[in-house]
Amino acid sequence: MKSRLLTVALGILTAIGGFLDAGDLVTNAVVGSRFGLSLAWVVVVGVVGICVFAHMSGKVAAVSGRATFEIIRERLGPTTAGLNLAASLAVTVLTLIAEVGGIALALQLASSVDHRLWVPVAALAVWLVLWRVKFNLMENVTGLLGLALVGFAVAVFLLGPDWGDLAAQLVPQVPVQESAAVYWYFAVALFGAAMTPYEVFFFSSGGVEDRWTVKDLATSRLNVLVGFPLGGLLSISIAACAAIVLLPAGIQVDSMSQLTLPIAEAGGTLLVAVVIVGLVAATFGAALETALSTGYTLSQYLGWSWGKFRRPVHAPRFHLAMILALVVAVGVLMTNVDPIAVTEYSVVFSAVALPLTYLPILVVANDPEYMGEHVNGRVMNLLGTVYLVILVVAALAAIPLMIATEAGG
Amino acid sequence: MIASDLLDVPVHDDAGAQLGWVVDLRFVLDGAPDAYLARARLHGLVVSPRTRTSFMGFERSSVRHPWPVAPILRWWHRGAFLVHWPDVARVPHPDEGAGPGDDAAVVLRAGYTAYEPGL
Repeated sequence: MKSRLLTVALGILTAIGGFLDAGDLVTNAVVGSRFGLSLAWVVVVGVVGICVFAHMSGKVAAVSGRATFEIIRERLGPTTAGLNLAASLAVTVLTLIAEVGGIALALQLASSVDHRLWVPVAALAVWLVLWRVKFNLMENVTGLLGLALVGFAVAVFLLGPDWGDLAAQLVPQVPVQESAAVYWYFAVALFGAAMTPYEVFFFSSGGVEDRWTVKDLATSRLNVLVGFPLGGLLSISIAACAAIVLLPAGIQVDSMSQLTLPIAEAGGTLLVAVVIVGLVAATFGAALETALSTGYTLSQYLGWSWGKFRRPVHAPRFHLAMILALVVAVGVLMTNVDPIAVTEYSVVFSAVALPLTYLPILVVANDPEYMGEHVNGRVMNLLGTVYLVILVVAALAAIPLMIATEAGG
Repeated sequence: MIASDLLDVPVHDDAGAQLGWVVDLRFVLDGAPDAYLARARLHGLVVSPRTRTSFMGFERSSVRHPWPVAPILRWWHRGAFLVHWPDVARVPHPDEGAGPGDDAAVVLRAGYTAYEPGL
């Protein structure tokens, strides 16, 4: 029997892709250095939201054996589901580009070798894992090593901040030196990142890969309740480190290397080394999650056989889709584009993908033909509906806010 | 023919009056045994009078949750009906409906029966 810790690896890996991928790692530090902890409430709202929908998608996968994009295609029909596929693939591939670039940046921190030289190496390593390594081993190793990012939480304590002052920052308010539009742009960006659609594609497909059945409903729930709150906690820890060290010094964050400044101050070289392991593992894990999500969504929409539980020869188009996504990622990174800036544009596509992903999940979770006695209760339906409304409002607000603030300027 | 040749296509009666759009296909599994299951046979078309968007499966059952999604969809698709495949007189050729203004449509026989879409 698997140990409890390894049972929740899927939830931890999924949450890393949502809260601690390359784009979010930097965004969290940017937010901390500019807004202190005044946006931490958004992360909490996002954690609850992704818990609600990941729980539903995991439940549907365990009870009916169907992954999220299969039910999207079935319930929305080919046209609307096709629109969702295009938007979701855009979000997922943009994030994959950022992750391959992020692995390269994290390896540059460890090696001082220029990140552009690391890009092909990173992509090749990701592909080898996708091609050869069993799903189970993959989720356990990346999930566990990603936990090294707990170094950020440790650093908060080692820095010994004025806890009263830090707690006072938790009140939602726009800092005097920032405009309300910029504050809300980052609020929407943090919320969108927390609820990014590839998390449920990966989580539900991962449940199928792990061969969940009705007996595994408790496992699914445990994965949700451990993984996402942990991801949110680490996300707030990164912001807290930046708020304690960088905010008072007036240092603006614009690169991944600055993430380690508070860590070095708190715990010296040893803690920096631990955190760099965590950064490599988190970006690598997020790269695997987004590459697999590309294969999952495309295969589930088009009815191809999919999954790492099949040998590649029995799921050739699934593997080809992932290879193509990685080739695109390397190609884009070779143009010398800033990998972190790439993710800013995924907000636009999220506006389409988010409602069209979460609505079918909510509908199927209520269908007794699929779920039998495990249909949603009143509380889950209420939460799901409230979050659907918040998602639509946030998605619509995101685009004008992005244009008005020049993506947070 | 594939399912996409029928889905979203307008439905006319034999006099040419518009009845709605095909929003879903209903299959039954009663054919010769295939690899896993009996082979599927097209039983009929679900036609909705007001919209070509998906009914999301609510036509099959009496599920009322989640509120307000279910009531809104039921109201939007009110008057949806199932028409059996033998009542279909003509379907568009797969190459039709490519250009704008093209009147590719599913045409029903005179005296067709509209059934309740529920299972």
